[in-house]
Amino acid sequence: MPKIAIPTALRRYAGEQAFVTVEGTTIKDALASMTAQYPDLLKHLFDASGKLRSFVNVYVNDEDIRYQQQDDTLISEDDDIAIIPSIAGGAASEAELRAASAPDLSKEEIARYSRHLIMPEVGMEGQRKLKAASILLIGTGGLGSPLGLYLAAAGVGRLGLVDFDVVDHSNLQRQIIHGTKDVGRPKIESAKDRLNDINPYVQIDTHEFALRAENALDIVKDYDIVIDGTDNFQTRYLANDASVLLGKPNVYGSIFRFDGQASVFHPAAGGPCYRCLYPEPPPPGLVPSCAEGGVLGILPGIIGVIQATEAVKLIIGQGEPLIGRLLLFDALKMKFKELKLRKNPDCPLCGENATIKELIDYDQFCGITPPAPEVKTASADDWEITPTQLKARLERGDKLTIIDVREVHEWQICNLEHHGSTLIPLGEFPSRVSELNPDEEIVLQCKLGGRSAKAYNVLKEAGFTNILNLKGGIIAWADEVDATMAKY
Amino acid sequence: MSIQLTQQHLDEIRQHGERTFPEECGGLLLGVLEGETRVIHETLPLENIRKDSRHNRVEISPLDYAKAEREATKKGLGVWGYYHSHPNHPAIPSGFDLDHAPFIEWSYLIVSVREGTAQEIRAWTVREDRSQFDEEEIEMNHQGRGEA
Repeated sequence: MPKIAIPTALRRYAGEQAFVTVEGTTIKDALASMTAQYPDLLKHLFDASGKLRSFVNVYVNDEDIRYQQQDDTLISEDDDIAIIPSIAGGAASEAELRAASAPDLSKEEIARYSRHLIMPEVGMEGQRKLKAASILLIGTGGLGSPLGLYLAAAGVGRLGLVDFDVVDHSNLQRQIIHGTKDVGRPKIESAKDRLNDINPYVQIDTHEFALRAENALDIVKDYDIVIDGTDNFQTRYLANDASVLLGKPNVYGSIFRFDGQASVFHPAAGGPCYRCLYPEPPPPGLVPSCAEGGVLGILPGIIGVIQATEAVKLIIGQGEPLIGRLLLFDALKMKFKELKLRKNPDCPLCGENATIKELIDYDQFCGITPPAPEVKTASADDWEITPTQLKARLERGDKLTIIDVREVHEWQICNLEHHGSTLIPLGEFPSRVSELNPDEEIVLQCKLGGRSAKAYNVLKEAGFTNILNLKGGIIAWADEVDATMAKY
Repeated sequence: MSIQLTQQHLDEIRQHGERTFPEECGGLLLGVLEGETRVIHETLPLENIRKDSRHNRVEISPLDYAKAEREATKKGLGVWGYYHSHPNHPAIPSGFDLDHAPFIEWSYLIVSVREGTAQEIRAWTVREDRSQFDEEEIEMNHQGRGEA
């Protein structure tokens, strides 16, 4: 009959034997036969619901039954069956150490957090964990706004803000941490003021520069959790890599037009990372940014609050985190969908034979050439024309055909119609090339210069030679030559 | 309950912790139960199979454990405890340690290693309801390895 090897520690419950002889043809039968003979083993191997305890592994011939047919794994007389404990250990995390030494909540804090304190899932212990915790928010824009507001209100002890941008009118439709009076101020100052007002018991640390490979590890290491609220692939990969290398969870969210997604990347807890989901960035320009494609102002509120919820759950250790799950949200259909995310065993960052051991050049990785130092009226390459140059030529009376390749709804916001521009959206452009006269000098224009560069290539291939691209698009036009023009 | 070890065992645990610093190390304690005392005869340093967070996490291969049980049985010994290191942290069990302590019958030794130098070693047991660790006395065995 088959025999099961019993660990030393449990032999006292099995008649002091190293092996228990059992009956049955499956693991389920064999375990039942064993506990029928030695009922004292039950509570040491099974939890209250009758499931094997998490640290109890059953091996048949040196293989875990989890990777065979589990309970139904077939056994025969010659098989070596063994009960083997999982053995692991580890020093306290920084958060745990701080939680243990965290000062108690003051009377004022207790009053402030009372709706948390009366829930057993948070309680005094959870609120002290929140107070002991620190979160790095990368970006104080669309996602960073609700994240900062709610995490500060919830009582997260220390929030780090990374941003180097200035508040602009076009931010206010969604970046609710900033107000109209803040336009022109550094975002980080405006955000800090607002957060201090919401909760003066939260420490706000500001990092007013771009997160880069040179500084990321040094900044991230001082925080328990990283939340990426940026809108570009370089920072997304950088935040992911720095978090994984330092073993920190990275709460991910992204938004575009009416769609959003969120997940928690945490390989140190057994989950996948951003690179498991997207091993490589898309070619530059293929995926439009929110500045190019637009975004529903409310959407970052929804996704940012989901991220904030996940961060709070991680800190208080409650519920099921979004680790290994990708949540998709469609605001038009008002539907959530969930996808399972698997860890990629060959992931160069968190896989078994990881090759990435330090941060890399993320501009290069994402195919971005860093912009040349900006000069207000920089001279354009020969295929481009700057707004200042274009204005001068129009005023001189040069005959130029301006083609706007944006969408109709963008045209309605602002355009160069009074300079004779014609709208041909990029999607229709290749089929409407015949409307253009190769003998005329054509200036192509979009919002920022990216889409018109594509139209430029279409014309070039069609044999046009006398074409120019408006550098920086209509936004640069508004900045350089027409301050009255509406920007978006 | 208490645990009895020799100076040599403690030295071996410290040396293991220093060798793997800044990463954690782990190993098993082989011995016999004599009344209320776990008398350790051998330390068995094992490999940390964690791929990530090795500076504050350690995991022992189940197959290494099975082998240790077999070897111990041959020598008339059993596996009565587990040790691991806490690099740059005190020798106090963490919440993670409590969640991952398999047996209430074992001794759990922790060695603190600060900047590469092993410091204190403390021994702990898990309460029967698994609610927390209690510190356990380390008895020094001056009789060598305990062989009769």
